[in-house]
Amino acid sequence: MDFLGFLITQCLNALSQAALLFFLGVGLTLIFGIMRIVNFAHGAFFMLGAYVGYSSVAVVGSFWAALIIAPLLVGGFGAAFELGILRRLYRRDHSAFLMVTFGLTLIMGEAIRLLWGVNALEVAAPQALSGIVFILGEPFPIYRLFLAGAGIVVAIVIWQFLERTRLGLLIRATSQNAEMVHALGTDVRLVRSAVFGIGCGLAGIGGVLAAPLVTASLAMAPNAVIDTFVIVIIGGMGSFVGSAIGALLVAFVQVFGTYYFPDLALALMYLVMLTVLVVRPGGLLGKEA
Amino acid sequence: MNARYGLAAATLILALAPLGLPPYAMTLLTEALILGLFAMSLDLMVGYTRLLSFGHAAAYGLGAYACGNLLLHTDMPLLFVVPIAAVFSGIVAIVVAWVCTLASGVSFSMLTLAFAQLLYAVAFKWTSVTGASDGLAGIPRSPGPFGISVFAGKAGFYYLVLGCLLGELLFCRALVSSPFGAVLRGIRENEAKTLSLGYNTRRYKIAVVAIAFALGGLAGALYAPFAGFANTELLFWLFSGQVLIMVIVGGAGTLVGPIIGAAFFMLVSNLLSSWTDSWALFFGLIFIGFVLFAPQGIWGLLTSTSPAKRRRSARESAPGGGAAIGAP
Amino acid sequence: MGVPPLALLELDQLTRRFGGIVAVDRVTMRVEAGEVRAVIGPNGAGKSTLFNLITGVVAPTAGAVRFDDEALGGLSAYAVCQRGISRTFQITSLFPEMTARENARLAAQARHARRWQPYGGRAVFGDAGTRGDAALERLGLTHVATRPAGLLSHGDQRLLEVAMALAQQPRLLLLDEPTQGLSVEETAQAVETLAGLLADGVMTVLLVEHDMEVVFRLARMITVLHRGAVIADGSPDAVKADADVQRAYLGGLA
Repeated sequence: MDFLGFLITQCLNALSQAALLFFLGVGLTLIFGIMRIVNFAHGAFFMLGAYVGYSSVAVVGSFWAALIIAPLLVGGFGAAFELGILRRLYRRDHSAFLMVTFGLTLIMGEAIRLLWGVNALEVAAPQALSGIVFILGEPFPIYRLFLAGAGIVVAIVIWQFLERTRLGLLIRATSQNAEMVHALGTDVRLVRSAVFGIGCGLAGIGGVLAAPLVTASLAMAPNAVIDTFVIVIIGGMGSFVGSAIGALLVAFVQVFGTYYFPDLALALMYLVMLTVLVVRPGGLLGKEA
Repeated sequence: MNARYGLAAATLILALAPLGLPPYAMTLLTEALILGLFAMSLDLMVGYTRLLSFGHAAAYGLGAYACGNLLLHTDMPLLFVVPIAAVFSGIVAIVVAWVCTLASGVSFSMLTLAFAQLLYAVAFKWTSVTGASDGLAGIPRSPGPFGISVFAGKAGFYYLVLGCLLGELLFCRALVSSPFGAVLRGIRENEAKTLSLGYNTRRYKIAVVAIAFALGGLAGALYAPFAGFANTELLFWLFSGQVLIMVIVGGAGTLVGPIIGAAFFMLVSNLLSSWTDSWALFFGLIFIGFVLFAPQGIWGLLTSTSPAKRRRSARESAPGGGAAIGAP
Repeated sequence: MGVPPLALLELDQLTRRFGGIVAVDRVTMRVEAGEVRAVIGPNGAGKSTLFNLITGVVAPTAGAVRFDDEALGGLSAYAVCQRGISRTFQITSLFPEMTARENARLAAQARHARRWQPYGGRAVFGDAGTRGDAALERLGLTHVATRPAGLLSHGDQRLLEVAMALAQQPRLLLLDEPTQGLSVEETAQAVETLAGLLADGVMTVLLVEHDMEVVFRLARMITVLHRGAVIADGSPDAVKADADVQRAYLGGLA
């Protein structure tokens, strides 16, 4: 067995895993950065993305179409929820947000069960991505290569979006000083709705992309929300770069941990988080709490 | 004084319940009381210290598995095993709380969830102790000491649970009105200020989590011999969410409220489940409704001059929006 | 006169950097027992950071804080307070849903040996309540003692914070802009109350204040900070006459 080949494929594996985690983490951290709230339903939006993706593939017949339709629907639903419900809570303390979005998680889980049933649903990867390539003699699924690439592309797009566009500028400004932005004539409430929608939409993309790997199932929501929480706690709440680093760290620990210490793989992730918390309670790139 | 009469009347009604209720209703009532015990333990954290936990099922599961194992594998009587399991849960909680209190606010809540899910995952793998996905079955209600076997029967076990519930209520009441409880209240309202007044707030938080886990473990330890089994569902995050719902819907920070919340939960889920199997959907809606429109909960709505209401009015009419005063 | 007066608080070359900014720059300062000293300086001079360094909220980059001949380095906020240093905050920090009396009592309870007691507590509450009520009375707050702190006027809230610190019977009292955000009348009233409190010369106080009238009314000694460093130290008259201080306050010294 070629060790180098093994190493490279495992690293690619971890990268593809990190891409999925990044879609989750960056959305949560973006929402936290602007609104100072934690969206407990983030995993549920991820799951919704997978199920909507499944139906889009079934109706339209194209995975690529699903990749556009699902995030739009999921993000739209997120923005609508912010408009209708969360907006009433900005004067309350953070626990109210956690509880309401937790309630939403229950509702979404149950609604998805009613609409799509309890069985896990298979989503086929598009034809072009469904094969295997050999890297130094090691087989590797093309779809995972695509995921790793997608993660890198989206990370760059989000970064450029925040740096270069007007909405990105507004988002950064709002996270620094919402009152000032409001005083300068921008409706901060609209920015908040937009950001919540974008964050949920990103989770939705993650859900669609994850579906061919893990199938769409009701276990997605709790698993995803916990992974996401671990990522942002490691990276630092509200830090864009932090969520990327957190996603990479968790993915590498998961992939290599599963290989070398199969019994401890899960505990390893928590061990990393614990170490970070002890050394830097605010997360690697977080502001001092 | 009124509260004391109310408590006495409620106790009397509950004590007489086995005389008039059919067995099926007795089973439901016993389970409701166990859940009430469980919800009250969480109220110490959520209502009195504003430590929002999404992982309180861990306490219940720890108590249930500890109790189940001791009853299955030793000859120790039920009466000894239950408190041992509760203490065990409390001791584990010290470790959990030590870690979770490294963070505060939202991150604390996330860590509680992560910890509970870690235990859930461990329970799935550790077949020799937890029976993995099959769980532990056939947990007996071992008699003793001195051959006392009254708690093995339906009514006897009900009185054991009722006694524990009353004991917990009196204990928690003493706790929250003690000097220790005053500090918890300080942490709830303004942790930074409490710290700067010279209180080691982290130690207080660890202590209250340990107490809440011990009492939550007590509930789990009663559940295992009540149901005769313990499985991983008891550690699942959905259960953590359900108990949080009981606390909020019943009325956080009132001790009695969560018991009512637990009873309400049992009642509504049984009514709903007779004509739909997606009662969780309705619970989500009811829960959001309470958080939005009645954060004081059922008990707060019932008692017109509730502390929750007074607190809210103090907060809202405070100069500068109230919340600013609490900021560090 | 041969024995130098006891320094209760000594700062030695105390420094704190945030990234590239030096918020507090090699500050050396002594506060003697019974002294009322004001720390003044323009916005951003490092006054609040200095308080946070003394009280253990922020750890120093370099230098030392000594209190009653004990190094406070590495102690956290609660431990510093337990040693006898009580503070107020620039932005009022109270327990808004508790009454004024409960606020003061909780502050006093922190100094009680049985503050942990998880049952009963009549004795603990009795002792702490007595000291809390006494502090409220000294600040003229007895008439609002039963009202929730969140419902008090802004002026009374500022004074309540001082009362809470006082209820702890501290050996050193740190006041962070006690008249911050008060109207002219409220300020005058608060200053009279504080002056009455400090008249007997028993309390040791370190005071941060913007309002020069307040400073000259209350403080016997003044330290002037500018860009984190001490530029003058002495009696009010000496500081007033100091050329560096004149320039710093007129916006020069660039």
